[in-house]
Amino acid sequence: MRAFLKKEWMEWVRTGRFFLVLLIFALFGIMNPAIAKLTPWMMEALSDSLAKTGIVTTEVTVDAFTSWTQFYKNIPMGAIVFVLLGSGIFPQEYQKGTLIPVVTRGLSRKKIAAAKSLMLLFIWTLSYLLCFGITYGYNAYFWDNGIAKSLFFAGFACWLFGIWLVALLVFFSAVSANSPQALLGTGGIVAACYLLGMIPRVSRYLPTKLLEGMPLLQGISEPGDYSACLAAALGMSLVCLGLAAVCFERRRL
Amino acid sequence: MEMLTLSHVAKSFGSKQVLRDVSFSVPEHTVFGFVGQNGAGKTTAMKLILGLLDADGGEISVNGRPVRYGNTPTNQYVGYLPDVPEFYDYMTPEEYLCFCGEIAGMPKGERKSRSRELLRLVGLEQDNRRIKGFSRGMKQRLGIAQALFCRPRLLICDEPTSALDPVGRRELLDILVNVKEQTTVLFSTHILSDVEHICDEIAFLHEGNIVLQGPLEKVRRKRRDTGVELELARTEEVKFLLSEFPFLELSGSNRILLKEAKKLPDVLRLIADRNLAILRLERQEAALEDLFLEVVGK
Repeated sequence: MRAFLKKEWMEWVRTGRFFLVLLIFALFGIMNPAIAKLTPWMMEALSDSLAKTGIVTTEVTVDAFTSWTQFYKNIPMGAIVFVLLGSGIFPQEYQKGTLIPVVTRGLSRKKIAAAKSLMLLFIWTLSYLLCFGITYGYNAYFWDNGIAKSLFFAGFACWLFGIWLVALLVFFSAVSANSPQALLGTGGIVAACYLLGMIPRVSRYLPTKLLEGMPLLQGISEPGDYSACLAAALGMSLVCLGLAAVCFERRRL
Repeated sequence: MEMLTLSHVAKSFGSKQVLRDVSFSVPEHTVFGFVGQNGAGKTTAMKLILGLLDADGGEISVNGRPVRYGNTPTNQYVGYLPDVPEFYDYMTPEEYLCFCGEIAGMPKGERKSRSRELLRLVGLEQDNRRIKGFSRGMKQRLGIAQALFCRPRLLICDEPTSALDPVGRRELLDILVNVKEQTTVLFSTHILSDVEHICDEIAFLHEGNIVLQGPLEKVRRKRRDTGVELELARTEEVKFLLSEFPFLELSGSNRILLKEAKKLPDVLRLIADRNLAILRLERQEAALEDLFLEVVGK
């Protein structure tokens, strides 16, 4: 399996996807505090023209919350980019038949699926840490992160959302013939969760709730309120990865 | 000893029966030609041998051990060259071969030396760029190197020459003949001249059945008649022979074809009596192509 992990790593690096995903997450990480920092300046610059249209701007105060609000707005975008870049990991190999020499050489299919999943988990974790770390650092420098409650728990929940996404992506790309199908499957489940989230009674069980970090930071919600969706995300991830292994084992290459 | 045995293997995709009842065996250290038209089921049979497809019936064994679908342990004896070999474009040939060796559990030092040795064998030792820029022929040669990497007991090649130019084809066939000492080769093709060049044994696959098989010489002899061609020095002597024996046919300038070989002594007697000058007397080999057309009923 080490050989296949090395190959996956080489693929991410040499095709440029690894640096692309890091670059994008780093940019998001910088943008969050930057937008917060620029907001008062922009409001001031625009206040004259806004006054003419009848909108009166008052002085805006920004703090770490403003920046973290941006963070939770931007993370779904980052996740979409990540899913787009990762959606080809299985289908590309099916289409080209590059797994045949590997399988006929005796590497078990479970190990192939495990190596691919591990690489996705690693890259998600790394990119997420980069984005979170940059935002955290700038926030600490400009303002004070101390006003945010449960900051790291909220960060962990958001990371787990990515893990759930990776599990969905692994399952759908293991069973799909091409990457659009994999994207459709993954996107479909996430969209369905968002729609179901409109029903208040159901929303607390949905993994998409993990992205709602601001109520935690503001102290409106407690970590305990997230236990149901944490468990759901974990359970679904395990089921997806298990199913992916089973389907991949039976799949015609 | 038999390296590969298929007995009563059947496979269908939906309602399409691709293999009906395929049985043949490949003895050790032979080059075995697996001949059939496009779409006859050659690739399907090969994928069954590799455990990449699940057979509907029958048994396959490699080196005496049964093949099963999925992760078959018999693949440790097998090297496989697909019809269109594809690689990871972002690797160099040496990196790719080392990757293959690592998967097979070969120690690091051996991986390196083995990949250099094989790249030399297939003539790619100078090409240290990434596989992305490789031509079809270069990929085919790298495919052979990849298939031979773990010193397989059985080398399976799926139409290895069909997309190559004449030089590339010749080189590839030479490689196959050279490796015969170390391994057994099963290769599928519809190019019959390739079969005639390098095969010891052949099997013809047609409509899901093996219609003809055996050592190449024996199969050739199955053809009913093999004619004799005579070439004479002088045109008037050709005319004389044609008038004496109406069963002779003119097959070119100063060349005569005798289809019924048993009448050859009569012709030769006359030639000797009249002291005619013959340049050439040749028994015509049964072309495999005729035989092939005959068995497929065209």
